[in-house]
Amino acid sequence: MSELSEALKPYIGLESHTDTACDVVERGAVRRYAQAIMNEDPIFSVACENNKRYGGPVTPPFFPTHLFRRPFGVPDPIQNNAHDPDFDGIVAATISGLPELAPLKGYALLNGGSELEFYRYPLHGETISMKSRYADIVEKQTSKGLIILVVIESEYRNEKNDLLIRVRRTQIRRK
Amino acid sequence: MALGHERFFEDVSIGEEIPGLEKGPMTTAHLMRWSAAMENWHKIHYDRPFAIGHDKLPDLLINGSLKQQFVMQLLADWAGPGGWVWKVGFQFRAMNLVGETLQIWGKVVAKRETPDYGLIDIELGILNDAAKESTPGTATLALPYRNGKALPYPFVAPAA
Repeated sequence: MSELSEALKPYIGLESHTDTACDVVERGAVRRYAQAIMNEDPIFSVACENNKRYGGPVTPPFFPTHLFRRPFGVPDPIQNNAHDPDFDGIVAATISGLPELAPLKGYALLNGGSELEFYRYPLHGETISMKSRYADIVEKQTSKGLIILVVIESEYRNEKNDLLIRVRRTQIRRK
Repeated sequence: MALGHERFFEDVSIGEEIPGLEKGPMTTAHLMRWSAAMENWHKIHYDRPFAIGHDKLPDLLINGSLKQQFVMQLLADWAGPGGWVWKVGFQFRAMNLVGETLQIWGKVVAKRETPDYGLIDIELGILNDAAKESTPGTATLALPYRNGKALPYPFVAPAA
């Protein structure tokens, strides 16, 4: 095992705290989201035959994964970086709650894809929480050099602890 | 999702193509609207001078997070209100740029029976105007049997 793998090994299995989204599932937010994805299915807006089994209007399936946003009172990264021409605009919306992988400081990050399992759609008014863990971290030699595959598994639940979605995201880290 | 539309496991054939879904041409307004809806301020999706001049991209990128929504719509609409999209996976292999029209496709590659419902395995992807694949993936959908019971909700995965 390489020195880098040894340094990364303690992170495997590490869990985040449970993070609760700062807003409940709001009808207006669902409307903007549905319009933005160009899918104004009535199941997202009104009680109808097709959402009867879900218990009423629900969100689009991926909605919970985009609900973790900057709450009131948290420093504004956009204003704080307004004079930085290199600021790329990436803010906390994608944070998993896990600690940074210190041995990979300076490594670029690419989205390697994701796998999702769906169990339940959130209803309007529900509160969503998320918990993540480093499921795996492996080194791989490729034709373009060494890459590190970081697999993060996250679960999204409502306030009754019902499982909504399980996500496995693969990040590609390389120098 | 069309009201009253129902699809059963027995209706599906291996090799069957799912009717495609077209989105676009994807303009800067589409991308800005999506960035605002999900509060993602990554400049490569709406700030052309930054995307090209700073990040050396050919143009503004269509968000992967938006493309995956289109795949889900294709699958959920096809499964119908009695079906369930259980698993879906993607790889973002190539960029899609502003101005492109996206063709979302899917094809049935396998069918499996479980005691309570049937499972359909699907290959899927997104093609641009030049028929270049950007987002290959797979999905597994659950469909009820014609003379069976409704799918469980919340969904219960089959025993391993």
